[in-house]
Amino acid sequence: MNATAIMKHRDAAVSDGENTAAGVTDAEAARLGFRLTLPAQILVLFISAFPLLMQLYISLTDWSPLSGIGWWSAWELWNNFANYTDLAADGRFWSALGRTAIVMLVCVPAEFLLGLALATLFMDEFPGKRFFYSVMLMPMMVVPAVAGYMFFMLFQSGGPVNDLLSSLTGFPVTVAWLSDPTLALVAVMIADIWQWTPLMFLILLAGLVGVPEDQIKAATLLGANAWQRFTTIVLPKMKTIIVIALAIRVIENFKIFDTLYIMTGGGPGVATETISVYIYKVTTQDLIWGYVAAIALAILVVLSVVAVLAMKRMAQGREA
Amino acid sequence: MSSIHLQNLVKKFGEFTALKTMDLVIEDGEFMALLGPSGCGKSTTMNMIAGIEEPTSGRILFGDRDMAGVPMGGRGVGFVFQNYAIFTHMTVRQNLAYGLRMRGLAKSEIERKVSAIAELLQLSPLLDRKADRLSVNILQRVAIGRSAIMEPAIFLLDEPLSNVDAAFRAVMRTELKHLQRQFRQTMVYVTHDQLEAMTMADRIAVMDHGVLQQVGTPLEVYNHPANVFVARFIGAPGMNLLKGRPAERDRGLVIDLGRLGATQPLPPALAASLRNHGREVLYGFRPEQTLLSAEGRGLRMPVDFVERIGARTIVHLGRDETAVKAVFENDVKLGEAVTVSPAEASVRIFDAATGTAIRAE
Repeated sequence: MNATAIMKHRDAAVSDGENTAAGVTDAEAARLGFRLTLPAQILVLFISAFPLLMQLYISLTDWSPLSGIGWWSAWELWNNFANYTDLAADGRFWSALGRTAIVMLVCVPAEFLLGLALATLFMDEFPGKRFFYSVMLMPMMVVPAVAGYMFFMLFQSGGPVNDLLSSLTGFPVTVAWLSDPTLALVAVMIADIWQWTPLMFLILLAGLVGVPEDQIKAATLLGANAWQRFTTIVLPKMKTIIVIALAIRVIENFKIFDTLYIMTGGGPGVATETISVYIYKVTTQDLIWGYVAAIALAILVVLSVVAVLAMKRMAQGREA
Repeated sequence: MSSIHLQNLVKKFGEFTALKTMDLVIEDGEFMALLGPSGCGKSTTMNMIAGIEEPTSGRILFGDRDMAGVPMGGRGVGFVFQNYAIFTHMTVRQNLAYGLRMRGLAKSEIERKVSAIAELLQLSPLLDRKADRLSVNILQRVAIGRSAIMEPAIFLLDEPLSNVDAAFRAVMRTELKHLQRQFRQTMVYVTHDQLEAMTMADRIAVMDHGVLQQVGTPLEVYNHPANVFVARFIGAPGMNLLKGRPAERDRGLVIDLGRLGATQPLPPALAASLRNHGREVLYGFRPEQTLLSAEGRGLRMPVDFVERIGARTIVHLGRDETAVKAVFENDVKLGEAVTVSPAEASVRIFDAATGTAIRAE
C-alpha cells in the first residue's frame, strides 16, 4: 500500500467516521503513518535533540577536555548544579548579557527603521534605481570577518572616519574609537547596522511590494493622507513580515560575534564583550566546558522564548 | 450632487494616446455608462475624473468647480474598484468607517453613520466579520457602502461586475440599479458589457480607441447608432452591414448590393437624404428585426451555420463580405437558400468611407 492510497483511506475514514471498504480505520492509518515516518523522525531527533541532551548532561558536571575522561563519563565529575549557581552569580556573564541586550536594542530598531525607510524609497521610481539596489545589497554579501577588518581600519585614530570628521568640523579629530569603552561599542554597533540593514531592507521591500496597490488607492480616495495610509493599510498588511524580519535580526544580533571580535576582541577590557565573545573566551581560554554548556543552555532558553513568541504572533497574523 | 463636465479632455501615455479630445456632460443625478472594448479609454476617463490620473490637457469640472490640481482624496468622489479593494485586514465595520475616521469625525458620529449605512445595505449582521472571507455580493455592498458613507456627490464604478459569474451578474445589476435610486447620486459606470450598460444606465457613452463614438439613451444607441462601430458593438449579435450603392428604381430608391441583388425600397425620408449621395454605403439592419422566409421578395442567401442558444436561434447566412445574421425561431436547414427581408423601419444607412450614419431627413 503506497502513501497516496493511505491518504485516500484516511480521508475516507475521516469523512465516514467509520471503517472504510478496505477496512483501514483512522487510528490504524495514523499508526501506519507514524511507522513510515519513524526513520526520519529518529534522524531529526538525533540531529537536534542529541547535542542538546549532551550539552545538558555536561552542564551538570565539571567536565573539560583536560579532565582526562570521555564526555560520556562526565557523571564522575557531577557538581550538584554548581555551574548554574555560578552562572547566577557571575557578574561578567550578566554584564555581557546586558551589553548584548543594549547592542540588540540599538541595532535591531535602527536596522528596521533604516530598512523600512529605504524600502519605502525603493517603492518609487528614480534614476539609477537598479544600480542602487545592487549597491544596497552589497554589505550583506561581505564576509563578516572582512567587514570586521574594514571597520577596524575605518575606526583607527588616524583612519578615514576621523579624517572625514576632521574635514567636516574643521578641527583635527583624533578620536581613539576602538580604545574608548563607549565609542568602541558605538563603532561595533555601526558596523552591525551597516552590514545587516540590507537584509531588513530586502525583507521589508518584499513585504511592501505585497501590499495591494488598489487598497492604497482606495484609502487615498477615501481621504487618507500618506501617513494615515502607511499606518492603517501598509503597516497592518506587513505585520507578519515585520515580525519575521525582527525575529531573524533579534536572534542573529543576539549571537553577534565575528565582526565585533575582529574589531575589538571584546575590548577594551570587557567593554564590548557580548555573550558570544564571553562564551568564546571561556571556552578557549578557561577551558571550563561544563560551565560553557550551562551558559549556552541558558541563552538557548532565552532565544527559544523569543522565537516561540514570534511564531505565535505569526500564527495570529495568518488568522487575521 | 454634481454634474460632470469633460472639456477637450486628452490623455497621453508617452507616445500612446489613450484618450483623444473627449467632450461629455454627465448630468446631475444621472447614471452614465462608459461602454467600449478594452483599451478604448473608458477606464482612463474614469481615473481622470477620480483624480487617479492627471489629464494631459483639457478640463474636468464638477458643477462649475475646476478639478485641476485637486488631489484624488479631495474631490469627494466615491470609487468602487473592479475587485472592490476591500481592506481585508479590517472588519466590515472598520471598512465602512474608514473614510470618516481618516477625516477625524467624532466616534459617536461615525458609529451612527455606520449603523445607518449598514442598515441600508443590509450589512448590519455582518459588521464585525473580517472582510477577507465575504462573498462577492457582500464585498460589493461593503465597497459601495464604504464610499457612500462619505456622501460623495459623484460615484464612480469601474467594472464592478466583471469578477462575478453570469448568473449572479443579473442579480447584482438589479441591486446596483436599486442602490443608485436610493442614493440618487451622479454615477459613472465603466463597463465593456453592453447588457450592463443597457439595463442600468440612463445614458451610454460608447467609446472606441480613445474616441467618444456616441452618447445617448440605451434605446437611442441601439436604434440609431451614430456610426458603424456603434452599430456593430451594440446588440448581440451586432447590426448586419452590407456594402452597396444607392440606385433609383421604379419602386423607389434601393441599395444595389451587387451579387446579392437590390434591397427593398428605402423609406421615403431615408431615401430623400440618400438620393444625392452617390458614393458607396453600408446597408444596415438588426438581426432581430429580420424576417426569414422560404419564398418572397428580399435577398436570397444560403444558410451557413445555425447557432442555437436556447431562447432563440441565430442563423448565419452567406459568407465573408455578404455574411448576415438573423434571429429566428423556426428551424432551418444548412445550405438551404432563404429570403432575408429586414423590417423596413429597422434599416439604417452608413457612409461606407467614413462609417458615419446617414440619417433620414
